[in-house]
Amino acid sequence: MTSITTQTITFKVFRFNTETDYLPAYKEYQMEVTSEEVVLDILNRIKWEFDGSFSYRRSCRHGICGACAVKVNGKGVLACKERMNDIIDSFGTELTIEPVSTKRAVKDMIVDKADFWEKHDAVKPYLVSDIDEHPKEESLVTPEQAEALLEADLCIQCGLCHYSCPAIEENDEFFGPAAFAAAYRFNADVRDEGTLERLDTVNQPGAGVWDCVKCFECAEVCPKEVNPIEKITKLHNQVFEYGRAPNNVAVRHAVGFAHSIKKHGLLDEGELVRYSEGTLGVLKHMPVALQMYKKGKIVLPWNMPQSDKLDEIKKLVKISSTVKF
Amino acid sequence: MGIPIYTYDAVIVGAGLAGTAAARELEKAGKKVAVITKLHPLRSHSGAAQGGINAALSDEDSIELHEFDTVKGADYLADQDVVELMCKEAPETIRWAERMGAAFSRNEDGTIAQRPFGGQSSPRACYAKDRTGLTLLQTIYEQALREGVTFWDEWYAADIIYKEGKVSGVVAFNIRNLEYAIFNAKAVMFATGGYARAYKINSNAHANTGDGLSIVARHGLPLEDMEFVQFHPSGLSGNGVLISEAARGEGGRLLNSKGERFMEKYAPNKLELASRDVVSRAIINEIREGRGVGPRKDAVYIDLVHLGKDLIMERLPELRDLAITFLGLDMVKEPILISATAHYSMGGIPMDKDGHVRKNNTEFVEGFYAAGECSCSSVHGANRLGANSVLEALFFGRHVGQSMIQDLNEGITLRKATEDDAKAMIDEITLTLNRNGTDTVPGLRDELQQSMTDNAGVFRTEETLAEQVNILKELRRRFHENCRIDDKSKIFNTDLQEAIELGHMLDFSLFIVESALARKESRGAHFREDYDTRDDENFLKHTMAYMDENGNITLDYMDVTLGKHELKERTY
Repeated sequence: MTSITTQTITFKVFRFNTETDYLPAYKEYQMEVTSEEVVLDILNRIKWEFDGSFSYRRSCRHGICGACAVKVNGKGVLACKERMNDIIDSFGTELTIEPVSTKRAVKDMIVDKADFWEKHDAVKPYLVSDIDEHPKEESLVTPEQAEALLEADLCIQCGLCHYSCPAIEENDEFFGPAAFAAAYRFNADVRDEGTLERLDTVNQPGAGVWDCVKCFECAEVCPKEVNPIEKITKLHNQVFEYGRAPNNVAVRHAVGFAHSIKKHGLLDEGELVRYSEGTLGVLKHMPVALQMYKKGKIVLPWNMPQSDKLDEIKKLVKISSTVKF
Repeated sequence: MGIPIYTYDAVIVGAGLAGTAAARELEKAGKKVAVITKLHPLRSHSGAAQGGINAALSDEDSIELHEFDTVKGADYLADQDVVELMCKEAPETIRWAERMGAAFSRNEDGTIAQRPFGGQSSPRACYAKDRTGLTLLQTIYEQALREGVTFWDEWYAADIIYKEGKVSGVVAFNIRNLEYAIFNAKAVMFATGGYARAYKINSNAHANTGDGLSIVARHGLPLEDMEFVQFHPSGLSGNGVLISEAARGEGGRLLNSKGERFMEKYAPNKLELASRDVVSRAIINEIREGRGVGPRKDAVYIDLVHLGKDLIMERLPELRDLAITFLGLDMVKEPILISATAHYSMGGIPMDKDGHVRKNNTEFVEGFYAAGECSCSSVHGANRLGANSVLEALFFGRHVGQSMIQDLNEGITLRKATEDDAKAMIDEITLTLNRNGTDTVPGLRDELQQSMTDNAGVFRTEETLAEQVNILKELRRRFHENCRIDDKSKIFNTDLQEAIELGHMLDFSLFIVESALARKESRGAHFREDYDTRDDENFLKHTMAYMDENGNITLDYMDVTLGKHELKERTY
């Protein structure tokens, strides 16, 4: 940092107060933004220089308390950790600032996060262990065992992944990436004794890990690089490793995938449906199947092709499989 | 009025390490306990502690050395009985946190890893990478959640119920909708954190406005050793955000504009690992004498490049990230810009070693307890040793929780609260909402913070402090007569909250300045250019300051509890 530069930026800011407003409005503020500033500085300046009633959550101002998550031009950011210069590079000099979830907005940037905390609390986000209240020694944990948490303990519950997750948008029951990361954090801890119970919780159809749509948005948005989807995938595996997979559609869907790849090196969509939903279930999907067939997206069962490197794929499946289905 | 009165055995204000640790103890003992916090518990500033938590765990270290380093660091103002207690219990405290799930960094053999920190005879700081506070706060919160502790989050504690020498509850409002409530309790604990937010350049969270201190002081109760504010040597240039002492502990070197490793002049033996007050003064001195660096020449370099990328990524990843975010500088490739930043409050609500709040030098307030940074036991004396604050919060939180259980078991009567007990809070809110004028909260706050940094900062003189007293009196007059806020609504009125917080900052700042003015010596973090040496004959004593109804401060002094660590000159 040899010199400080400034640019004129126009901000359109979501303003709403449940007490007085029926609908939100976007107010415009223009200011000179310096190269030293982060998004939180802008929120502060709106409040301190323009309108004291502007409200947002913030505390630590250096990316560790998780209070100040907002969206800028639709991108989820932790306001105190996001450099204005980077935002301007991505989106230009006209910027829209909104709460992480406009439908949950209570006042300006402040949202009702009750659903987030309920789901967080539901996965037993604590070490399940009979705690020695007066220990003479610590439990021994090797550096390798400590690393198994894969930084899941760095999650600061900012909620950015939760409110960027399309599965949450569609499915109120879905625990969401942050809760799964928390579940993984404790399951991965050698000192924990709550893994089975936690797996049964995150394994529920609808609410559980099988409803993740694998879009990677959570990994993309996380300001602490916790990479929740990686933890969701680990939980998928743990469900099998610990023998907690019930015989249901979600699990059969996953197993059917593996079978198909092993057999053909490719995905057999028709067989996948039959395997996970049963022969009667196939009937339900016939209209879609016919459409897909017409467009050449699926083939008749006896015409299912094989990958030309099937031998190698089989080898790969064999060495990468840690779990027997 | 219809204000609800909730009844508890114990009510705790503040949900950081101290408050939450106490709550868990009380809940486990079957007491009905509530924790009130103006944030969500996980947003508490304990989570920002980076570098470590002290305990003499290794064979090369000893409890006695930990005590000695703490007392010496404190410039002999610490009460040695309290220091002995904390240092003795430190190993168990760390291991207890570990058993609850804290994700400490480990040695190859699986034991908890430790790193060197300033002012310490041995590598003593247990750590979790550079996010020690985060793992501890998360852990204690998780286990409190597991026990079923009731948290009233986003509630603002505005007052205590204090009459006839006894505290019997807390008066608060819901930040979500300005709903009032009275929390009637047999025992009340304050764990409300520190007060460095009174300074312009500080490392503290926005929330650290020292509310708890002036709530207590407004009832005529004393505040102890308020003049001792720690300036941490390494705040990021410009905004003061902390770069942990771990950066120096791991081998960081301080350089001025001439490329000189200037600590060779100030602390030839310990260099960068001298005590924090020593290093901070050295930095400010280099800047004052024209050897500063950066776009404003108001910083020095800390150079970590020689540590190599692997070590930085393994042990200091968060710090690297902070410097990239706020300065655009990557410590793997280049030195970064730092300067002294107001960081920690040694002073606070006076208490004995079991957390009982003092009414004066000899008496205690019934049913009232304190722990953590808002309290003064005094375990840190005139200057806190790095990695002792997290220990203090966690140990005393738990210990004072246990002391509350014991007192409750021995029988504290519940004095029934009435709606009238909420009057002071309601008056304060009504007045703040309706007051008209031309001054604004951010305007007055800027003046407060800038003047505190200029006049009551790292270096102080009779002249600057006297000037600051006048500035504060004038700021308080303008605040009370002429300060208006924009927001009149009931929903998340953060404008109102910031105004109330400013009122607290203006009040306790006067304690800092008046106490500093009267202490005509230099000790620990308090450095008077006009009295630049320690004066044990006249000032080996704690300041006890009281505020009267007109807002004037009177001072008294209390003896220091000495012990086996005898007074010596302090050199590093």
